[in-house]
Order: sequence, then structure tokens, then C-alpha cells
Amino acid sequence: MHIAEGFLPPLHAAAWTVAAAPFVAHGVVRLNRQIKENPEAKLLLGASGAFCFVLSALKIPSVTGSCSHPTGTGLGAILFRPPVMTVLGTITLLFQALLLAHGGITTLGANAFSMAIVGPWAGYGAYTLVRRLGGGLLGAVFAGAFVADLVTYCVTSAQLALAFPDPAGGFTGALTKFGAIFAVTQIPLAVSEGLLTVLVVRLLRSTSAAELIRLRVLKEGQVAS
Amino acid sequence: MLAIDVAAYRSPWRRRHPAAKAVLAGGLLLSALLLPPWPGAPITAVITLVVALGWARVPPRAFLRSARAPLAFIVTGSVTFLISVDTSGLAWAPGGAVRAGEVIGRCVAAVFCQLLFAMTTPLADVLPRIARRPGLSGLAEVAGLVYRMLSVVLETVNAIRRAQADRLGTRSWRTQWRSVIGLAAQVFVLSFDRARRLEAGLSDRGYTGSLAVSVESLPLTGRFLALAPLPGLVSAGLTLALTSACTVA
Repeated sequence: MHIAEGFLPPLHAAAWTVAAAPFVAHGVVRLNRQIKENPEAKLLLGASGAFCFVLSALKIPSVTGSCSHPTGTGLGAILFRPPVMTVLGTITLLFQALLLAHGGITTLGANAFSMAIVGPWAGYGAYTLVRRLGGGLLGAVFAGAFVADLVTYCVTSAQLALAFPDPAGGFTGALTKFGAIFAVTQIPLAVSEGLLTVLVVRLLRSTSAAELIRLRVLKEGQVAS
Repeated sequence: MLAIDVAAYRSPWRRRHPAAKAVLAGGLLLSALLLPPWPGAPITAVITLVVALGWARVPPRAFLRSARAPLAFIVTGSVTFLISVDTSGLAWAPGGAVRAGEVIGRCVAAVFCQLLFAMTTPLADVLPRIARRPGLSGLAEVAGLVYRMLSVVLETVNAIRRAQADRLGTRSWRTQWRSVIGLAAQVFVLSFDRARRLEAGLSDRGYTGSLAVSVESLPLTGRFLALAPLPGLVSAGLTLALTSACTVA
């Protein structure tokens, strides 16, 4: 879910843009360095960006019986690392705003903060933690995708609660309200996205191991096993 | 191609400079966001609709179809303003309906402004111009590549979807899951394969790292640029006049 154009008060929209700017700038610097060292990487990044866009537009059957879209941020962060995902995620959000009218230009900063910054970093953190604790690749992938999806929506809830505090309960009341509404749809969706991501990575491990090695998701030894 | 992009390429404003269109849509967007929602939002929304459907001749059906999804989100999201939550439980929020109406009004006007720009300006006209800005060339080039690859990838997605549906891949919950997983994995494989082939083709042509493309020169001066800020100013003027008239009354 993206915050639509005009939904946030102008001050909040500006503040979230300022908050997201250093992360996007850091991602752009990393991206420029990567392109300078390896000009061919530009094409791979272009393909990755198109893949991220398509991933976020896929309809997945939700556990509740309805249909929903994955955020794709967990898989993106695992495959391309969070700083690059910040840039690719922001480009994806900009394209979604201008090509699909999902999200907006003034709310791009807020949407980028939740979906392209906090979500990918949290997802990547969970993925790394599970792998360091000795969990297998697929368990780590599930944790990464689940956490990235859920954290994205928690941040969106907090952004909306900050912008529209409850008349009686203030920020906490509004957070409870938005969180409760999202929880009904988002917890099943996060589980669905986690499962989808696990199955996609499992399929990729058998069909595109070379790409996963190139992206440092797998090591040479892990392919044989 | 996506419906908004199709409309942008077919727009009679296709040959107008993106910066002039940004001034026009941006001015209206500022009016939508900064003016008091009543009467600012309806005035801005109506002026934007007149500009989009009348002046820019955006097809009404395509415009309304593109507005449907964001407007549905806005209405659903605004329902939460009707309810208040505190330690004693749920209750109707005092002034919730007014707040919801204000947010819906502001969003409708803002979404119309967003669509006005998006449905008259192809991204292919905007991205190369951003690439000229110092420090942004790498980012704009990657964004340009994403944009170009997107059309091809979306076509692939549609072909795979059709093939899956023809093989009864959408018959049940189980087959739907299998189809989505196959689709995501296949798109990943094809995207990377396409990037690899592009890489090989470019290196055969002596690729040095620059993907600069020639950009059609569009005039930035003239009557259109002079008229561009006008709709926003009219919206602001009308709103302020009506507000002061209501205050006096």
C-alpha cells in the first residue's frame, strides 16, 4: 500500500522527504561508484529495477482468500543489498506514481522511507541474523521477506498516525487504529509474501544458481548441495 | 504499454517541454495542498479536470479509469477518521466526517494534478533531461534503463500469464500459487538474461559506459510557458476570493 498523492499534510510530506533524502543520496553514491568500477553493472541494475517493479505488481493469493500485492522489498534487499534497493525502490515508487498513479510525488519521500529504506534494511537484518544463527537459506529468506513486508506497513501506520493523531487517543490511538486495520490484511500478506519469496528463491537456486552466486546470495559450495 | 504511458505518448501536449508542463501541474498541485480544503480542493479539482480534459484533451475514460485505484484507497483510508480510539474503546470521532471530507477533497484534487502531468508527459521525455544534472547522470541512466526494460518485461509477464491461464494455471488456489511463483522466477531469469545479452551486444559495439541517447529538442519559451502558471493562480485567486467573501458574510 502506498500513501496516495495529497494524503499527507504538506509539512509531513516535506519532513519525510528530508528524512529519506540522506539514505537515497547514500544509495546513489554507492550506485555511481558501482557503475564507475563496472559499467556493465548498469544493465544488471536496469534489469533488477524492472524486476522489482514487476514483483510489486504481481497479484498473490492471500491467506484470507483475497488477492494482494507483495512489496518485493525483502527479496530485493536479499538479492541486491539495502543501499542499492533504496535507489531501485525509489525509482520503482516514482514509476508507480507516474505510470500507475499508485502513490504520489509529494508522498514519494514518505513511501520511500517505509518501502525503500526501513523495509529493506529490516528485512536484510532479519535475513542476515537468521543466517548467522545457523538457519538455512530458505528460513532466512522467509524471515527477511516477512519482516520487510510487516515493518514496511508498521512504518506506514506510524506515518499516518503522526499525520492524523486520534482526537481522543492522540498518536497512540491513531497508531492502534491504523495498525489494527493493517494487521487484518498485512499479517496474512506478510506470511504469503514470505512463502512466495521462499519458493521463488528455491526455484532460482535450481534454475539460476550462477546469478545467485554473482549476487553473492549463494556461495560456490552451496550450489552442489 | 501501461494505459497512462499510452495516453502520454498520444497527448497533443507531447511536444511541449516537460518543464512547462511541470510548472502547470505543479502550480495546481501546490494549490491543492496549500489552500484551505474548502473551497480550495473542489475549485482546484474542477480547474484541473477542465485543463486535462479540455485543454490537454486527455481521453476522459482513460483519465477516470486511472484515477479509480488511488481514489478507492483514499476513500478507504479516510474511513478511519470517522472512528476514535482511546482507553475506553471505540467511539465515533467528533468532527471525523469533516476531517475525512477535507482529506478526500485534497487528495482528489492532488491525484487529478498528478494524472494531468503523467498523462501528458512520457517518462522518456523527462529522464534524459534529469541525466544532464550533475551527480544525477548515473541514477537517471539506470532509471532510463529500468523504463526501457519495463515495457519488454511487462510484455513477457502478460505472455506468461496468458500461457498459464490457457494451461488452467488460475483454476484453484494451489495452481494460482504455483503460477505466481513460476512467473516471478521466470521474470527474474529472463530479465537477467536480457541484461546479459544487452551487455554482450553493447561490448561488441565498443561500449565505454555511456548510454547517452539523443533527446529531441523541445522549446521551453513561448505562449505555453507563459500560460502554464495561470490555472494554479486562478485556483488560488478564486479560493481566496470565496474564502474572504464567506468571512465577510
